[in-house]
Amino acid sequence: MMLANYIGAIALIVIGFYAMISKRDIIKIVVGMGIVDYGLNLMIVSIGFNEGGTAPIFTFGELVSGMYFVDPVPQALTLTSIVIGACVTAMALALCVRIYKEYGTLDTHEIRRLHG
Amino acid sequence: MDIMNIDIMDILMYAVYILIFPGLLFTCVFGLWLAGIDRKVVARMQHRKGPPLAQPAYDFLKLLGKECIVPDGAARITFLAAPWLGLASLVVTVLFIPIGGLQAFGTGGDTVVILYLLTIPTLAMILGGSASGSPFAGVGSSRTMVAIMSYELPLILIILAVGKAAGGYGVTFSLGQITLFQYLTAPFILDWRLVPAAIAMLFVIPCEVGQHPFDVGEAETEICEGPLVEYSGAPLAVFKLSHAIKMFVMTALFSALFLGGVTTGMLWLDIVLTLAFCSVVTLVCMSLLHAISARFRVEQLFKFFWTVVSGLALVSLLLVWFC
Amino acid sequence: MSYNVYNVYMHFPVLAIMTLFVGAFCVTLAGKHEKVRNVIAGCAVLISFTLLALLVKPVMIDGNIITYWMGNWEPVEGYAIGIAIEVDALSLFFGLLITIAVACSCFYSYQYMKQDDARGSYFTLYLMLSGGVLGIVLSGDLFNIYVMLEVMTFAAVGLTAFRTWNPNAREAAFKYLVVGSIGSTCALLGTALVYAQCHTLNLAQISAILPGNLNPTTILAFALLFAGFGCKSFMFPFHPIAADAHGAAPSSVSVLISGVFTKTGVYGIIRVCYFLFRSMGLTSVQTMLVFIGCLSMFVCVTMALNQHDFKRLLAFHSISQIGYILTSLGLCTALGIAGGLYHAINHTLFKGLLFLTAGSVLYATGTTYLEKLGGLARKMPQTTALFLIGAFSISGIPPFNGFYSKWIIYQATFEKAAGGSIGYALVTVVCVVTSVLTLASFIKVGHSVFFGQANPELGNVKDPPLGMRVPMWILATLCVLTGLFPDLMLRYIIGPATAAVLNSVGYIDAAMGAGYAEAHLADPSLLAAPQLISIGAWQPASWLVLFVIVLLAVFLCSLLSRGNSARGLESDAKHAVFFGGERAEYSHISGGDLFWGFKHNLRGYLGFMSRVHTGVTNDYVLWGVTATAVIIAYCFVTM
Repeated sequence: MMLANYIGAIALIVIGFYAMISKRDIIKIVVGMGIVDYGLNLMIVSIGFNEGGTAPIFTFGELVSGMYFVDPVPQALTLTSIVIGACVTAMALALCVRIYKEYGTLDTHEIRRLHG
Repeated sequence: MDIMNIDIMDILMYAVYILIFPGLLFTCVFGLWLAGIDRKVVARMQHRKGPPLAQPAYDFLKLLGKECIVPDGAARITFLAAPWLGLASLVVTVLFIPIGGLQAFGTGGDTVVILYLLTIPTLAMILGGSASGSPFAGVGSSRTMVAIMSYELPLILIILAVGKAAGGYGVTFSLGQITLFQYLTAPFILDWRLVPAAIAMLFVIPCEVGQHPFDVGEAETEICEGPLVEYSGAPLAVFKLSHAIKMFVMTALFSALFLGGVTTGMLWLDIVLTLAFCSVVTLVCMSLLHAISARFRVEQLFKFFWTVVSGLALVSLLLVWFC
Repeated sequence: MSYNVYNVYMHFPVLAIMTLFVGAFCVTLAGKHEKVRNVIAGCAVLISFTLLALLVKPVMIDGNIITYWMGNWEPVEGYAIGIAIEVDALSLFFGLLITIAVACSCFYSYQYMKQDDARGSYFTLYLMLSGGVLGIVLSGDLFNIYVMLEVMTFAAVGLTAFRTWNPNAREAAFKYLVVGSIGSTCALLGTALVYAQCHTLNLAQISAILPGNLNPTTILAFALLFAGFGCKSFMFPFHPIAADAHGAAPSSVSVLISGVFTKTGVYGIIRVCYFLFRSMGLTSVQTMLVFIGCLSMFVCVTMALNQHDFKRLLAFHSISQIGYILTSLGLCTALGIAGGLYHAINHTLFKGLLFLTAGSVLYATGTTYLEKLGGLARKMPQTTALFLIGAFSISGIPPFNGFYSKWIIYQATFEKAAGGSIGYALVTVVCVVTSVLTLASFIKVGHSVFFGQANPELGNVKDPPLGMRVPMWILATLCVLTGLFPDLMLRYIIGPATAAVLNSVGYIDAAMGAGYAEAHLADPSLLAAPQLISIGAWQPASWLVLFVIVLLAVFLCSLLSRGNSARGLESDAKHAVFFGGERAEYSHISGGDLFWGFKHNLRGYLGFMSRVHTGVTNDYVLWGVTATAVIIAYCFVTM
């Protein structure tokens, strides 16, 4: 079951990179970055998953050895990563708006004043 | 730092090293002498009588007395300071090169330091020319820089080849060790693996000095002496002197790299011997080439050095490494 | 040697980071009061610098390693769950050079940013960037490093796009964000995979568990972390975005992006290769790092020769210098590490100085386009002097600092070659040739900006105000001092940092308790005491001092002898370049026209390089992804 998660995660990352490489529309590039992020999040959260484990929500009194729960650390990481991903997308879109105002286009092949 | 806690005798000793031998005075005299020989021999090859041997010295002294004009639009401080900077760095370079059995400082000396110190005089000329504001000097500076780029690749290859040969099982950058190794075995010029490197070095010397077939930067006929076009009086004299000293430094470097370790045990005889070596090298790589060849174009120079000369040096490096 | 110092010092690192972030917050509170904002920012960077400077004695000289557990969450039963801040000599080394650059650049920007219209949020972003960078190098937690990396990238992107009147700024920021996201992705994925293997994020504990346990997951994690940090150091082929970003950002920010930001990537690579995986002993990793270093070095310096913009040229040079650092670190010898670290601090100093001079030119003339400038030396003498110091330093002209570190790097590469491989001798050759080309491109800048004929359009240009000159002079002084006293530098700064790079056992034990490394390291041979080869056979510094003495002596003689022969500047026919009574025509040899012979011969290569740097975002992403894929494949094949 976890194998499907990993394959899915890697597929998402590859699709995202594909979009970033081949799409000339900068909005689509931003979408690609988002997809890479989702793949990454799926990957991390899958790493912490234990088959049949419970949610890691305990008080100190309840915690005894031999309890079986999913690893909480990757979930924390995923949460952070999601937040960061959202910020990246917001920032990139803000830049897209400005670029469209200045260049009048969203085509990467025309947004290349800096080259050589 | 050890230089901070030396006593008065040492300071005197250093003063002698820097100002008299093998520093300023000695290099000036000997550099001018080499320049004189060069002119004389070239003249004789062209069936001319040629000027007296001391002519470069006369030229120098005469220029010292002439008026120094700073052109309009020049960056004055850089323009005036550049020649002195070049001269000072040359004098320091000499202290690193073993002359005869004597090295100004007990330690080894280092080929990489010399390599870098040797760029400073040329760099000073480039900056001076650039600071003069003349378009001719601008072109000259650009070409001089191309010359540096040209000879630096073969020069480092030569240094590596020699460093590997002298390192035994290891490698070395130390000139002291290089000469010592030759003293214990034989001069490297007799080592067949290093012959290509020696030949390459013979090409590098005139290019670094800015002698005739490679003097793209000064090219009198096209750009009126390039970086020097606006110089007059004492600064020009210093540049001319630097040029002469460079002939000495480069030939002495050749002697140390390839003819090192030939020593008689007597200091004055060793010095005479070094002078003889330097003169011979000057004749071979500067006077001879000067007399028989026309000037390279800039792009030819660069191509020649990055293919033929570097190739020779690389062959040597490979031979030293694998034979 | 006591590993844990339970005294006041252990709070300093976290305070140094917090000061910057709190400062960023307070700057926003200050709102429209510019003076208040400046004072807060200045105080924050100064406090941060002071706190780290106070750590020099306990960490660098006494050899302690400071470990600070956030919220006092110490490791339980050998598992580090809490977030650690761990400062060894290596972290402190990077921390110091970061805070020095940040402080100088901060004071410079008081005056410099006056030309901007929307500068309210400048110091917020600036302090966030500084805090993020400092957080990376002081943190002892892999995920925290990632978070700080993102904080830093955000702030840097924001600052790149900052100049509203610079038409290229948004484009540069966008490219930077997109291509930089590849690096972030790789770093995060690598972190996750490391966690999957070790179930911990603490650097020290990972360093104890991972080395010697190579399986496909760890190899993939290594390759991804390497590529991620490599992207942050803008190594080849991630370099085009660096050029765009450095060029578009305000100069005071370029100092940070080039001198500081890239160092975090270098720091990350050191931590990953020398600590987390200890894979640096493998020939394949050494080869990879040296190869990438040489490629960055050479490609970027040739790109720099092609440039027409002062700051863009500097940007390419900064990647070229990063190439030196990576190459030297890839040698995995004590001498190599020392050379790399020495060059790292030198690069921060001279590149900072050069970017600030570029900023001064921009401030005074309003352009950094080489073809529009010329002859500024007469109008901006101090800036010219500062530029020359920076240019000489970066070109490795003795006795400036660049020379000494390059000298160590040549020694290190050549000594490595003595081990048998001629390839490292060729690395030495590449280093020297790059150094010459660096000199050439700074001759180009010097000639086309400061010397040559004065552009008549730049009539009333003058040196920037004192507030901008002082930070530049500080950096210039440091450039000269670090060049003149390499003995002291090696003994007190570089030596301890080098020892720290090789002392991962000490790093582990400081965090996890003494004896932890011995108990957990899989391969006991890795416990061998770090060998410190004495650095350099001899010291050139004393002879280089001689150079200065000789120069002074000759100068004195010349002053005495010259007497009245040098006259004042009279503008008459005698001092004109051309005669004939006509007005001199403006005939400046501009930067693009220089080095024709060189460019002509290499026109195929230079033209090709110029063409492939298309400026299209997709292409740069393609390069980055390809590079990552190649690194992964290479690691799988050879490790």
